[in-house]
Amino acid sequence: MAGGAVELIDLNKLYGTMRAVDNISLHIPGGEFFSLLGSSGCGKTTTLRMIAGFEQPTSGHIILDGVDMTETPPHKRHVNTVFQSYALFPHLNVFDNVAFGLRRQKETPDNVNRRVNEALALVQLNGFEKRKPSQMSGGQQQRVALARALVLKPAVLLLDEPLGALDARLRKQLQVELKTLQQQVGITFVYVTHDQEEALTMSDRIAIMSQGKIEQIATPEEMYENPATVFVADFLGVSNLMDGVASGADAGGRCKVRLGNFELAAGRGASGASGNTKITIRPERVRLEPKGTAGENRIPGTVQRWVYLGNSVQLIVGLATGEKIQALMQNSGDEIPYREGSEVAVHLPAAALRVLTDTGVKLASEGD
Amino acid sequence: MTATTEAGKGGRTRIAEQSLGHRLKVWMANPWGKPRFMVLIAWAYVLITIIPVIVAIQFSFNAGRSVTVWQGFDLTKWYFGDSAYSVWHDPRLQQALFQSVKLAALDMLIATPLGVLLAIGLARWRGTILSNISNFIMLFPLVTPELMMGVALFLVFLNLFTFIQPSTTAQVLGHVTFSLSYVVVIVRGRLFSIGKQYEEAAADLGATPFECLWLVLFPLLLPAIFSSMMMVFAISIDDFVISQWLSCGSDCDTVPIRVYASTRGAPLPSINALAAIMVYMTLSAVGIAWLGHKFMTRGEKRSGGGGMSQAMGGGFDM
Amino acid sequence: MYPKWLWPVFAVPGVLWLILLFLVPFYAVIGVAFGGIDPIFMNAVPTWNPVDWDYSSMIDTLHGFLPGNSYWTVLVRTTVYVALALTGSLLIGYPVAYYISRHAKKTKGILLALLVLPFWVSYMMRMLAWVNLFSPNGYINKFLIWTHIVTTPPDWLNGNSTSVVLGLIYGYVPYLILPLLAALDRIDRSVLEAARDLGASPASAFYHITLPLSKPGILGASVIIALPMFGDYYTPNIVSGSPKTTMLGNQIDIFFHGGPQPSVGASLTMLLSLFLAVLMAYYMITIAKAQKEMQA
Repeated sequence: MAGGAVELIDLNKLYGTMRAVDNISLHIPGGEFFSLLGSSGCGKTTTLRMIAGFEQPTSGHIILDGVDMTETPPHKRHVNTVFQSYALFPHLNVFDNVAFGLRRQKETPDNVNRRVNEALALVQLNGFEKRKPSQMSGGQQQRVALARALVLKPAVLLLDEPLGALDARLRKQLQVELKTLQQQVGITFVYVTHDQEEALTMSDRIAIMSQGKIEQIATPEEMYENPATVFVADFLGVSNLMDGVASGADAGGRCKVRLGNFELAAGRGASGASGNTKITIRPERVRLEPKGTAGENRIPGTVQRWVYLGNSVQLIVGLATGEKIQALMQNSGDEIPYREGSEVAVHLPAAALRVLTDTGVKLASEGD
Repeated sequence: MTATTEAGKGGRTRIAEQSLGHRLKVWMANPWGKPRFMVLIAWAYVLITIIPVIVAIQFSFNAGRSVTVWQGFDLTKWYFGDSAYSVWHDPRLQQALFQSVKLAALDMLIATPLGVLLAIGLARWRGTILSNISNFIMLFPLVTPELMMGVALFLVFLNLFTFIQPSTTAQVLGHVTFSLSYVVVIVRGRLFSIGKQYEEAAADLGATPFECLWLVLFPLLLPAIFSSMMMVFAISIDDFVISQWLSCGSDCDTVPIRVYASTRGAPLPSINALAAIMVYMTLSAVGIAWLGHKFMTRGEKRSGGGGMSQAMGGGFDM
Repeated sequence: MYPKWLWPVFAVPGVLWLILLFLVPFYAVIGVAFGGIDPIFMNAVPTWNPVDWDYSSMIDTLHGFLPGNSYWTVLVRTTVYVALALTGSLLIGYPVAYYISRHAKKTKGILLALLVLPFWVSYMMRMLAWVNLFSPNGYINKFLIWTHIVTTPPDWLNGNSTSVVLGLIYGYVPYLILPLLAALDRIDRSVLEAARDLGASPASAFYHITLPLSKPGILGASVIIALPMFGDYYTPNIVSGSPKTTMLGNQIDIFFHGGPQPSVGASLTMLLSLFLAVLMAYYMITIAKAQKEMQA
């Protein structure tokens, strides 16, 4: 089960003049659960399809375990795909679907039988051999697609939004199963999704893509805690992006940022930045304190909306600078003393406040 | 990171100087590359089906009397120029032209309303044995070879409905019988694609059943009705078998019958001109239908069943 | 929201029309087949009451279908012609439909338009064009002589079976291609990608996936053109006109228009309907299924 290292070198894909994939280079070591995350049209599926061999790169190289695969047709690549719509063969039953690849390899009937049964056991579908795909639920079809690809023991499994067509509950459940399965079989998974939560919970590493380019490659934790660009910060959930003017680092190595009439210190990101910047803070790190509380990084504000979310309460606070900021407070059972109209001091802890310098990027939340 | 970038640069120069062998390899590797021989077959087929027709139309402009030897170009001779043998001046050809148009027009006027009502009725009236039987009967004319229908209608007008006899009336009745089901198929497709929601909305807003039908359903069906009319016109103009079996003799001859009769003789280019006129007419009808359909469904997402394509060949969209 | 009686009322005129002018005429065929002949005028005297049916014409006709007898020869010839024409049409039509569905990208629109074009050119017009090409001094013979493939022009249009089969193919391929194309278009592309992904070569993916998935389309399209071919009499008449190429349709035509033996003609028509019943039923089921799918 060794191997499964994928390397993309300067990969480009042009459709006419449209750059679907723009000079991507990345390295995925064997056995990693790697996600390509981005909104629709960002090039993640095209990248996956090039690894599978369905699309020819305009230029660049795809290397699998040290061998250049760029010009190898899909049926000769030791890579298999789980398709978004599963692409199960409608005229074949579950057994024949899973056996399809083995039979193309001219396996003996005994081997085909054994390996199909193993694969179906892996996805807990024994007893469904004679069913046609149309007689199965979405979740079951998904498992058949998985078994069909895994039965060939590929070095790399490519998954194109495999959970996209399922309802939310099933998706959660299968996320866990998929991750367990990947650890069990130990092969490389390259997983394409537009769902940031899915990517964060399952992946060893994530690449966030936008307009054919990779914005950042990092572990989920690193990505969430230290987004490299405004796009990444925005894409991974609400980030309270505000325009600020930076003026270099202070004595403590923190960046001095001016937001309206308030001077803030930001402990994360580009500490030496100066000029126009974006400053960002996660809603769960924003603190609300009684009106008039003194100290650094505190801005007065008024609670405008109070939304009960069950495990937490979301408050939208209008700052004295004119900006709006979102704060998330854990529902610990204690009374939250702020309601709509309450005047508060908003504390943006320096340790949680980040300075990002690229301000020109189009944000995911702004749509296409 | 630097290592990969350098490898990348190397890669790009390699691509710039790719050899023929390399390109061939890339082409073979591309799983969706065009199989070149198929391009050939497809275009050869298309040309072979169309070129004979173009050649036949060409000979309708022949200055001489041959339909196989080109003797110079004459735009009008065989259409109306020749005072004895042109389509316009040969009474049999002129008669055939008028008969064809007359049949097609009457067919269109009768089969369309009848078929629209039948389509709505059959689509909405369900769950009873009678409605199932009616649905079943409606499918018969689509699948029955025309020869059988021709023989059956011929015999019934000769032996049972003797007050009709083979005649223009019989021809019209026959044409309506075989075109009715086409109208049903087209209109029913549109009915399914628009669903009941608009009428329900209208009823919810206080429309009476009649208003739901007339102010909501009818306008929504218009593209399909229009398509059906053109379809009926086209298949009626094209029909040979039914027209021939129900013909009363030379006064009932249509263009296809005339063409058929003269292929075995020594045809003049005027026959080509006659057939060509039909091609011009059908193509204009199709053009109008296409434009009309496009105009009437503008702003709609692609409609499921209203299109002409769906109806051609009698519900071939299986 | 609509009164219950409204939809049956809508359907009644059309259904009545079809009963009177479709079902009743078929009963007239039966009546004539089992009826008598007026000894003086030689016209049919149909028998409407099943009790009084006269089976002699039918028995005579059936006798003709025994191996070695005249209708037997015609039936075999018809079947062979249709089988050959169908095979030829599929060999031409399938690659064309496959190419347009799978590979033609920019040219798909224009190719489709050109494919549909023959639908709007009258069948007789196309046949006229066809025989003009094959006539003794037509373009085909000119080409053959010019290329020295033959020295004396072959006679295509008098009792030549090849010409009849070619004529049938030319006449009916357009009606085959469009349904085939619709069937091929419905195959989900990702299923083919999956096959390639699982190790199938292009040929193997075609054989194991495309072909089986297009089988219903092939069957349906074949039925669509086989039915009218079995009832065809005009194509053999136009391209041959010789008794050597008589098909069942010609036989029926002759009994009504040539020598008036209406009860034999009606018996033949009945037998042909029975012979084609399976094909017609299959075609009807596919249409009904398509309509049901549209509803869902």
